[in-house]
Amino acid sequence: MSVLRERVTWVWLGLVVLTCVTTWGLSKDLFSPAVAVVGIFLIAAMKVRYVMLDFMELRQAPIPVRVAFEAWPVVVAAMILSFWFATGTIA
Amino acid sequence: MATHAPPGTSAAARDLSPYPTDYRTWKILAWTGPVFLAAFFCLWGLLADNIPPFPPSATPDEVWQHYADLRLPIMIGMSVCLTMAAFYMSWSVAIARVMERIEGPGGVLSKLEMMGGTITCAPLMVACAIWLTAAHEIHNINPGIAHMLYWMGWLLIDLAYFVTSLQIAAVSIVFMRDKREKKLVPDAVIWWGWVTFASFFVVSAIPFVTTGPLAFNGVISFWIAFFTWFFWIPSLSYFIIKAIGRLKAEDEAAGRVNA
Amino acid sequence: MSTLSRMPVATADRVKPRRLPGVDGVWVAIGADSVIFAILFLTFMQDRLKDPALFEMSRHALNMNFGGIDTLILLTSSWSVALAIQALKRDLVDRVPRFLLGGALTGLLFMMSKSIEYFQKFAEGLTPATNPFYMWYFTLTGIHLLHVVFGTSLLTYVWIKSRRGAYSSLNRVVPECVASYWHLVDLLWIVIFPLLYLMKAA
Repeated sequence: MSVLRERVTWVWLGLVVLTCVTTWGLSKDLFSPAVAVVGIFLIAAMKVRYVMLDFMELRQAPIPVRVAFEAWPVVVAAMILSFWFATGTIA
Repeated sequence: MATHAPPGTSAAARDLSPYPTDYRTWKILAWTGPVFLAAFFCLWGLLADNIPPFPPSATPDEVWQHYADLRLPIMIGMSVCLTMAAFYMSWSVAIARVMERIEGPGGVLSKLEMMGGTITCAPLMVACAIWLTAAHEIHNINPGIAHMLYWMGWLLIDLAYFVTSLQIAAVSIVFMRDKREKKLVPDAVIWWGWVTFASFFVVSAIPFVTTGPLAFNGVISFWIAFFTWFFWIPSLSYFIIKAIGRLKAEDEAAGRVNA
Repeated sequence: MSTLSRMPVATADRVKPRRLPGVDGVWVAIGADSVIFAILFLTFMQDRLKDPALFEMSRHALNMNFGGIDTLILLTSSWSVALAIQALKRDLVDRVPRFLLGGALTGLLFMMSKSIEYFQKFAEGLTPATNPFYMWYFTLTGIHLLHVVFGTSLLTYVWIKSRRGAYSSLNRVVPECVASYWHLVDLLWIVIFPLLYLMKAA
């Protein structure tokens, strides 16, 4: 078993890159708050999805369970972003 | 007619008493669980206005006014709730008996469950009595005393959680050990028990906060902690009631009269 | 007359029944925990709506480098544990312990990082009582940290047992349950971190 050839390794690399993009890229003042926040949470939702599908092995799970779990990042991101947009600007 | 289980039968099926099993009373006791929940939810929750609770951040004057305004509903809710809390005990007895059929007669976890469920009645009853007293006596006490009684009830009802935790843990552990192909209590309910068990610990924060998620009216200490327990009671009850019927059928098939 | 026997052999090999790792019951707990945290995130956003300026100002005192590094630590930890399960499925029993140990040690690293971060906050006079944002910061990260402590203990337990050869491809239910729980801990942080540290105000 070569670690480098495992799917989970490639998923990990992707997650690490995405983490760096959000933490040290999107969070900088180069981007407008809306772009930054939407980008950060869409990426977070995608990261959660990959952890679920490839680390938690939900790709091979019974479909109803997989659907229920995949709905979670969608619902959570949508809820957070809806509230963010409803909150409006600070003085 | 067999008065003893044939040798080689598991300990769980051995006769436990010289008298025939009273499945009817057993089932009635199991039903007192949902009755307890309905009473507690309607009387303590709705009538006495505890869903959600009056805020812990309220001042003594605000608490006094709350009791003065809601004096009669609180008195009715708390007094009847105090009495009906006993149904949690009777429910626990029914569960323990089902557990003994898996753990064996006189098993420690069955005993722990029954004790845990019975003692749970104490904080429920005493807290209701404290709040009943506050309402009853509101025109004879000052706001400081009202505030104290309000907090005393909440600290008691919330912080005694661990007796209930031990009841829940005992239930989950024993029903996990059920070797039947179709368990008497399904995994989902067992694991929901563990979720409820875990959700109680953070409630220990309530003396130290008056606002936010950990306050006794907060999303964690109230909504999550209470509702995980509120859901555990009826879901477990459903399967316990069914289990008694299944055990009766098993006993009849095996020719046991007093298991 | 089964469909499987009429399929080309290669396809038949790939048709594996769908399954959940570990026991089904643990997924009830994982699902419940996920929903509970989603409720907490919702309540946080509700509270933030009431005073976004305070939340934004308070957020600035958080160190996003700490948070980002914590995310990398947990991702690596999950990766290590996922590798352990892959090795276990292939009966590479001697390789399993090191991956589980990797998971446990990175869990420990996360705990140390969080402790340093908390002590820094206390030194700056910031506690859960400071304001609603900090109540949420300490509560969310604190409850998550309890999950990390519990998960690291479980990982340590399965590591010890794996060194004695307790697990194999035919006996991997317990490590799978622990792994699944650990991935939950990881994915929760993936949301908590941006929610508290990165979410700037409009």
